[in-house]
Amino acid sequence: MTDSRSMPNRRNVLRLAFAAGVGLSASSALTSCATSGGDEDTGGKATGGGAKADAKNPFGIKDGATGTSVIFNGGWGIDYVTFAAKMFEKTHGGKFEVKPSTQISQQLQPRFVGKNPPDLIDNSGANKIGLNAIVDQLEDLNDVLDANNLEGKPIKDTLYPGAKSPGTIDGKLIAINYVQTVFAIWYSASLFQENDWTPPKTWDEAYELGGKAKSKGKFLFLWGKEAATYYQTLVIGSAIKEGGDDVRLALENLDKDGWSHPAVQGAIKGLEKIIKAGYMKPGGAGTQFTQAQAQWSRSQEALLYPSGSWIENEMKKQTKSGFKMTGAPEMTETGSSKMPLTALHAAADEAFIVPSDGKNPASAKEVLRIMLSKEAAANFAKTKLTPTIVKDTVPTDGFGSTALQSQTKLLEDAGKDVFTFNFVNLYGTNQDQLVPWNSFLSGKIDAAGLTKSLQAISDKVRNDSSVKKAKVT
Amino acid sequence: MRPGRVGFLLVTLGLPLAFYLGLVVWPFIQAFGYSLTNWTGFSGNFDVIGLDNYVTLWNDEVFRRAVINNILLVTVVPLVTITLALALATMLTVGGASSGAVRGLSRSSFYRVVSFFPYTIPAIVIGLIWAQNFDPSNGLINGALTSIGLSGFESYPWLGDARTAMPVSMFVIIWAFVGFYMVLFVAAIKGIPAELYDAARVDGAGRIRMTFTITVPMIRDNVQTAYIYLGIFALDAFVYMQALNPGGGPQNSTLVMPQVLYETAFRKNQFGLASAMGVVLALLTLFFAVLVILAFRLTRGKDPR
Repeated sequence: MTDSRSMPNRRNVLRLAFAAGVGLSASSALTSCATSGGDEDTGGKATGGGAKADAKNPFGIKDGATGTSVIFNGGWGIDYVTFAAKMFEKTHGGKFEVKPSTQISQQLQPRFVGKNPPDLIDNSGANKIGLNAIVDQLEDLNDVLDANNLEGKPIKDTLYPGAKSPGTIDGKLIAINYVQTVFAIWYSASLFQENDWTPPKTWDEAYELGGKAKSKGKFLFLWGKEAATYYQTLVIGSAIKEGGDDVRLALENLDKDGWSHPAVQGAIKGLEKIIKAGYMKPGGAGTQFTQAQAQWSRSQEALLYPSGSWIENEMKKQTKSGFKMTGAPEMTETGSSKMPLTALHAAADEAFIVPSDGKNPASAKEVLRIMLSKEAAANFAKTKLTPTIVKDTVPTDGFGSTALQSQTKLLEDAGKDVFTFNFVNLYGTNQDQLVPWNSFLSGKIDAAGLTKSLQAISDKVRNDSSVKKAKVT
Repeated sequence: MRPGRVGFLLVTLGLPLAFYLGLVVWPFIQAFGYSLTNWTGFSGNFDVIGLDNYVTLWNDEVFRRAVINNILLVTVVPLVTITLALALATMLTVGGASSGAVRGLSRSSFYRVVSFFPYTIPAIVIGLIWAQNFDPSNGLINGALTSIGLSGFESYPWLGDARTAMPVSMFVIIWAFVGFYMVLFVAAIKGIPAELYDAARVDGAGRIRMTFTITVPMIRDNVQTAYIYLGIFALDAFVYMQALNPGGGPQNSTLVMPQVLYETAFRKNQFGLASAMGVVLALLTLFFAVLVILAFRLTRGKDPR
């Protein structure tokens, strides 16, 4: 028999194991904690480049160069990137991987921290990364736009005006937004023709149209709870056209009284009058936005819907046949605005970014250069029925789509008067802004209450020293 | 000690303990560490800012609203769910005919299966289905109400009105859980010796009396466990709230802490602040569990333990 005292009892074993466990995790913490991925040089870091750069091969891609990418798999799918990757592989003989994802932020966050992000990322969708957190970790992409495209023309000369601005922070082009979106007020051209209506040019005209709609048992506008801020986009667009660049800068830079600017107030009051008159379909605060949109595009319960040009694609299956979806420019307050009525809130979407810590940033830039070529851009426009930021890829018949035709026309009419604004996306405030907007559209708070809430949201970001601000000029 | 024994101990105690420490305790400590920083989540750089994040949370109206909503949930959901589940379980086990042996309603096994159904459906599906039912224009609820002549409910936004959004969300959660806890309580009640009920009946006790003097005291451990489980769930409630009102509802009336946390981390890139929220949530959960255990201990009465 062994002496029982030499036997460790269960409690002591547990105690020992616990101590060992804590010690183990504490020591491993020093070496492998989630945020301690040191700066040690990886030695022979591949860049995808290395060969001599010239006009035909501006990033000096070597034969057999490789690269990886993570592409948001949403409305546009990923095949248009695969298309460009194939062209890359054909020219350079290497392999460019294209991986789909719908959880960009969640999946890539640890890779950014661990300093091994993919070379190219399509940062889009509901789970995209708020770019102001990673500005310092991204390549400046101005050299892509300065390079020649595959047809031998400088890429920057082939793009729509304003294509650069949404991806530019403090002068650095951190993202190339590939898909051209215009923001407009969408309506059914056929319905308007039947009733002899015209899309409103001012808020007063919109109010009058609301009365005419009411007599037909229809509403002027409707909304869904997740998309209440589409009306914020409309109000801001309208205010910028009315009051010019001052308005845009005040809001972008989170000014103390940005939301009290007379032009912004004019637009909010214009909308308030419409809501008070009952021309806004009630119940939107409890309706899913796609359901609400179907009430507009299928059952035609309301005449107008403010949205981006993705609306045609989004509602394709739920649009009444013969609807003839058409976009009209956002209305102004007075009709004697600082910018012409044809001025357009248009912005490129689908932000492609190249992390500096990636292994082959040059390969990623080369793929972007290929995507911006006429061939790849035309391929996108044709298969997705949506233009990219590359001009002149959509024929005048818009591949048979009235929405696409009107989008091209809106862009043409606007000419150089194209603007966009970024602060909502940049600081991730949309969620906070949805709350007062839903209340306002339901008629629960008035213009003053809405202004106060929106200003409070801007103030909160401005006063939060932990949030990095971008100065917009 | 014999070598075989060491191996046995290592496998049965050491491994689970290592897993527990590495995957549960360590992330907790890490989260607390991050909550003291201004980490943005996407780089290795951050500054230690002490308790600033907690001060921010204290002053943050939206987060306070979420805490209040969670406390509302934790007060109402377990209470109503358990009361209903107990009532139903009693009906199914001792609520039957008042003559002869004590038994449940006829066809009780059918009712049991039917009420268990909701629990077999994933929470997200339940949330989405009910969101459709409560749709103002095309929902079943308003359709039914207007068809019986209540025209005031035409396009009434149940989930879009601050007065009804929270009660409706609670209803959906309770609807989803009652069946499961009913089955749990049925099993517990079946474990009570039938003689007790028979004796009580001979003494002239009615069903209500039997419920309060026999059933509830005999299954109080089950009730306590159920209360803690449901409470922890109500402090989360992420899935249902996300399905019913992803934005937190009108005037943030259904916003819960995990939603704010998710938003703060992945949309606003304030991982430090989000970690602080996680710590607050964990502390609240612990506090709740202790509170329930204490309450049950204090109300134990003369029953020696």
